Amino acid sequence: MRTLFPNAWFVARREFRMRVRSRSFLIVTAILALVGVGLTLLPLGIELLAGSDDRRVAVVASGNDIPGSLGGTLQAALNATETDPERQWQVESSDDEPGARQEVTDGELDALLAVSRGSGGDLAYDVFTDEGPTSSLHVALRSALYQVSVSDRLQRAGVEADANQILAPPAITVTRSDPDAQDPEENFGARYLFAMALVILTFMAVITYGTWVASSVAEEKSSRVMELLITAATPRQLLAGKVLGTGAAGLTQYVAVVLAAGIGLVLQNVLKGRLLGAESANQLEGLQLGVLAPFGLFFIGGFMLYAILYAGLGSMASRQEEVQQVTGPMIFVAMIGYFAAFIGLNTPDAQWMQWLSWVPFFSPYLLIARAILDTVAPWEWLLAGALMLAFLAGALWVAARIYSAGVLLYGQRLSLRNVFSAVRVDR
Amino acid sequence: MSLVIERVSKRFGHVLALDETSFTVEPGRIFGLLGANGAGKTTCMRIVLDILRADTGSVTWQGRSNTQLPRDTWGYLPEERGLYTRMTVLDVLRFFASLYGVPEADATREIDDWLERFRVPDYRERKVEELSKGNQQKIQFIAAILHDPDVLIMDEPFTGLDPVNVQLLKEAFLEMKARGKTLIFSTHQMETVEELCESIAILDRGRVVVEGAVRDVKRAMGRQVVRLATDGDGRVDGWLGELPGMTVGAERQDYVEIRVPAGSDPEAILRLALQRGERVTRFEIADPSLEEVFIEHVGRPAAAEEERHLAERTGGAA
Repeated sequence: MRTLFPNAWFVARREFRMRVRSRSFLIVTAILALVGVGLTLLPLGIELLAGSDDRRVAVVASGNDIPGSLGGTLQAALNATETDPERQWQVESSDDEPGARQEVTDGELDALLAVSRGSGGDLAYDVFTDEGPTSSLHVALRSALYQVSVSDRLQRAGVEADANQILAPPAITVTRSDPDAQDPEENFGARYLFAMALVILTFMAVITYGTWVASSVAEEKSSRVMELLITAATPRQLLAGKVLGTGAAGLTQYVAVVLAAGIGLVLQNVLKGRLLGAESANQLEGLQLGVLAPFGLFFIGGFMLYAILYAGLGSMASRQEEVQQVTGPMIFVAMIGYFAAFIGLNTPDAQWMQWLSWVPFFSPYLLIARAILDTVAPWEWLLAGALMLAFLAGALWVAARIYSAGVLLYGQRLSLRNVFSAVRVDR
Repeated sequence: MSLVIERVSKRFGHVLALDETSFTVEPGRIFGLLGANGAGKTTCMRIVLDILRADTGSVTWQGRSNTQLPRDTWGYLPEERGLYTRMTVLDVLRFFASLYGVPEADATREIDDWLERFRVPDYRERKVEELSKGNQQKIQFIAAILHDPDVLIMDEPFTGLDPVNVQLLKEAFLEMKARGKTLIFSTHQMETVEELCESIAILDRGRVVVEGAVRDVKRAMGRQVVRLATDGDGRVDGWLGELPGMTVGAERQDYVEIRVPAGSDPEAILRLALQRGERVTRFEIADPSLEEVFIEHVGRPAAAEEERHLAERTGGAA
């Protein structure tokens, strides 16, 4: 049993330098970083292009018996129930119905309201809009027009009162029995998105950089440099070096892209303030950013676990084309964790989710998702961490055995049986 | 104190690659490992290097099992050449030296020295992929010796080299021998073996069919060869029949090779020739060539192997 270092370090250093200096690495990293910034700025761009959030509604009255105050009442009712603080409703009167229709078609008006009196004297509304029946415009209009009609009926029934006063929103205060209780629904949307983002980022890193490791091993095999390598260093040193070197290069790219996206996110908040002039909500607010530290550790642990096994399996391929074939099982395992995380996101407190989240192949996804959406006890962190370390050592042992047998197998049928029959080297 | 391979067997599935293979290499010698393709030479080398494990048998060097020996005992030139082609010559050589724990300054000095010796000092900063196959092979040789190994194991080191580079490599072999190193190499080129090797082993289907000092191996054949040249037309087939058992082995441009069976007196040829009034310009009694030894034991010439081997290589066997 020879020590891992310094040879693993030499292998890692060579691997890292060759990768990071390669033209394709620089180009791909630059493109991904741009995409990262672009994606985070996308919502702002859409907002800018869409212009103001304000809604404009035109009212055309047919007949003289429509009260002139109707437009004002409607506007007050719409603004009173609007939940988006940045959105203002504007209701204006119009005599030019065809012109207003054209404006709706051109998208300058959100809706045109033709008001008339029905046979019973009740107000009837004809709404002309390009928005679908489920849009928020319909919901808002329906509830506001209901109030307008109620106030009109009250007036016709002889109740003399200020419509605004009648329709003013009531004062409601809510006191909860347990003032410390955290609302599970509070910020759930934002936290859900946060957890999902981390799960996707982990999955992509595992698959992408795992494949890097595997094809890099296969490349050494097909270029026949492998035979020299295993004469000079042990399979464990080579494997560990490969995983560390490729991993470091992968993380470099990864951090560059995530940093770019983070800058984009901060930039978006600043730009939004400048461009739209509105006090914008911080999108990172309400997220447990403290979870990023354990996430980092489990991310690296899981990443190495997958990469080590990828390297072992990659040694079974004689050519680049066979890499996909031999690493198939790893993608399958990663997919299980990925989909389990997505199902589990909706039921973060389920028992199976808890158990599965301790398993090292899945903990980078599931434990983190649970920590964001639910709670993870300290002993669970320790248990999952210990299991991760044990699996890492075990994976290195297994992969080194596959590797020492696999690297000398050329052109043979790829099967685990073949490899295990060749696995006799013990060092 | 020698390298002892003792009753080593290795089976791959249904194929018995090595069958109780035994031979001994004396330290400080150049040793030739000969055999047809698939005879087990590469497997044997890999087992000595401990990158493959034998099913049974043992390998010891200076009394220590090869599984206990440090890695820098061995220098290896694999049959399938391979280097990191996108790295510069200097970087790739320094990398391999670092794996063996050679300090960078020492490695750099040795690299420059060997590049000079191989007359390619300007390749230092070139990428490996820009070099010709023959020059890559020289770099590969340097990679095998930078850590100053005691035993140098080379699989077909001369294959694919032009005559100038073959000569440079031979000189490098002799330099390593002068430094007290032990060299083991396999080849199909019998002239090279005759020129360099003190001892050989011939493998056939995983078994050692003959082993020992080159001279002893030849003598053990029992026969001799007479090289005869005369002033006349040089033909001997008219009268050679009078001597029982003597046959013409090969008719060269300026002499005839005559096989002399064991127990016959080669000088009988000279006497008969003079008796017949031939003017003898050359008469030489020699041991049979290694080529003949090889054919005797393996049943076919080694050169045929070489051709088949090259055909396989260029046919994209990699």
